[in-house]
Amino acid sequence: MTEELHRRYIPDGQDNLYDTHKCRVLRVYKQTEMDKVFLFRFIDQEVGKNWKFKPGQFVEVSLPGIGEVPISICSSAMRIGFFQLCIRKAGRVTTKIHELKPGDIVGIRGPYGNGFPMEKFFGRNLLLVAAGLGMAPLRSVFLYAIDNRWRFGDITIINSAKYENELLFARELEAMRDIAEAENIQIIQTVTREDSPNRLKGRASEHLDKVMIEPKNSTVALCGPPRMYKSMFEKLVEMNYDPRRIFVTLERRMKCGIGKCGHCNLGNSTSWKYACIDGPVFDYYDIISTPGMLE
Amino acid sequence: MRYVKLKKERIKEFLLALQDYGELYAPIKVSEKYFDFRKITNEQVDEVVLDYNRTLRPPRRFFFPEKEVLFTFNSKKVEMYENKEAFTSEPVVLFGVHACDIVGLRIMDSRFIDDQPDPYYRARREKGIIIGISCLPDEYCFCNVRRAEFVDSGFDLFLSEVEDGYVIRVGSVKGHKIIDSTENLYVEVTKKDSDDLTAFDVKKSKMFTVSGNWDSLRYTLELNDEHPVIWMRESEKCLGCGNCTITCPTCRCYDVKDYPNLDGETGVRVRIWDSCQFREHGLVAGGHNFRPTKESRFKNRYMCKNAYCKEVTTAYCVGCGRCTYFCPAGINYKENLIEIRGGI
Repeated sequence: MTEELHRRYIPDGQDNLYDTHKCRVLRVYKQTEMDKVFLFRFIDQEVGKNWKFKPGQFVEVSLPGIGEVPISICSSAMRIGFFQLCIRKAGRVTTKIHELKPGDIVGIRGPYGNGFPMEKFFGRNLLLVAAGLGMAPLRSVFLYAIDNRWRFGDITIINSAKYENELLFARELEAMRDIAEAENIQIIQTVTREDSPNRLKGRASEHLDKVMIEPKNSTVALCGPPRMYKSMFEKLVEMNYDPRRIFVTLERRMKCGIGKCGHCNLGNSTSWKYACIDGPVFDYYDIISTPGMLE
Repeated sequence: MRYVKLKKERIKEFLLALQDYGELYAPIKVSEKYFDFRKITNEQVDEVVLDYNRTLRPPRRFFFPEKEVLFTFNSKKVEMYENKEAFTSEPVVLFGVHACDIVGLRIMDSRFIDDQPDPYYRARREKGIIIGISCLPDEYCFCNVRRAEFVDSGFDLFLSEVEDGYVIRVGSVKGHKIIDSTENLYVEVTKKDSDDLTAFDVKKSKMFTVSGNWDSLRYTLELNDEHPVIWMRESEKCLGCGNCTITCPTCRCYDVKDYPNLDGETGVRVRIWDSCQFREHGLVAGGHNFRPTKESRFKNRYMCKNAYCKEVTTAYCVGCGRCTYFCPAGINYKENLIEIRGGI
């Protein structure tokens, strides 16, 4: 949609693109049974000072001897010097990452991807819809919006998961409720597969009518399983949200993060995209021109 | 601009001279039906085949090897050490590369050098020497419709066949240096040689089974995205072996793997060619697969190969015919594209 979004983002100033910076784990805390949040800081302070990222970008976490995985950054882009990753125990590398303790060291390279074009969100209402692990990248957007509260209109965040104990950052959002109310931020947390006393029941799309923000002049950021995007899209357009201001972020098997390894490519001949450098955040025009994005 | 002529009987001397510039690789017959680029020692110079149809493995493997150590690591210290081999190895002198493969290498460059250069690929590619050779098509070739039957750059020397020898076109400074140091091998190019070149081109263009330009194939493919027959019928035959992508001169997917040593501390991080025809290619954590069926993976290759390479302004497919020639299931890529085009 815009030049800014389509500008391919690859960090420069590194001799070897595949080399990593050493980072120390400062804190590990359990989010759910499967997810842990890790707080990292660069060992080389010079690197840490200059290391900036945008909400929606990801890093490659490398454990020599095990492998590399792409993980979205979930802390606020405004707070520099450290960053947080919310990691689900889902495979070989992430299982090993879950064994890390404070003081352990990992290799990090990045940040990669285009990230959300936050400047385009300024002056508008913001609707964030997260399903499952989608809360991790959207937390980065949410915290950024809170840190820059004056730049945004009303904000609504919908956080959904299958079960109560899988709801990411649920306690954190709950604790924010008072501040949120004072700052005109609406928090909706919903659980799809069980009745929970404190939560709403049903999919995120079923609670769109409770969203307080005005659809006109709103930006929407979606993150969740690909299955969710199609239905959300239809629903949002039906509710008069401008489709051109709906952004999604995609997940792929990114091995390199810099548009070389080919695992994340998608689309067809007129719109051939690498999710790692052209994305992972895509807008309406990318979606309609690139088949396979919402599958 | 510089042209010299190499007589046929002096080709052996020429090959021997090339060995001063690095490790010489040239096509030789490796089995009854197949050719491959192999390392040529002084004794093997006679075995070099000048009129081969296509090599088993594409030339990209000299710059982007099948298996390459990127780093050695120490997992206790969490440190990685760059593998210097690509930067210190002998340059590769690749003799006898067809025009389509030279275009293929330029397509590889567009991904590995133009946009954030890959250090290993670039180091090998920059010191490598490419010596092209003219060729005549067989029934699998369709480089003409891919605009890859002729190249103007991407080579150091290009040998075009004439009646009693080869007219060598110099394409780079490195090429000039080679010609300068072996000047006694060559003779002047005559008017007859120039006429021979034209005759060769006319003969070549008549040998292709297809004609025209297939740039618009991208449109046709997209319009036939839901083709009722072809995708299902052809992917049913597919074994999913990945032979088409391994032999392809422009496929560049790779996987990165860590191999620890037995001491439990050190090891190597390796990149290995991957193929979009494998089930794991589109698999992500949690078990979701973006290309779950053989049909979707099959279609992905057709889309990728016909996508537009902005830097080279051709399709990613150069029409070398390898994917058909080496397919164990006998899937005919060219015929399928013709069918999608409506039989033309």
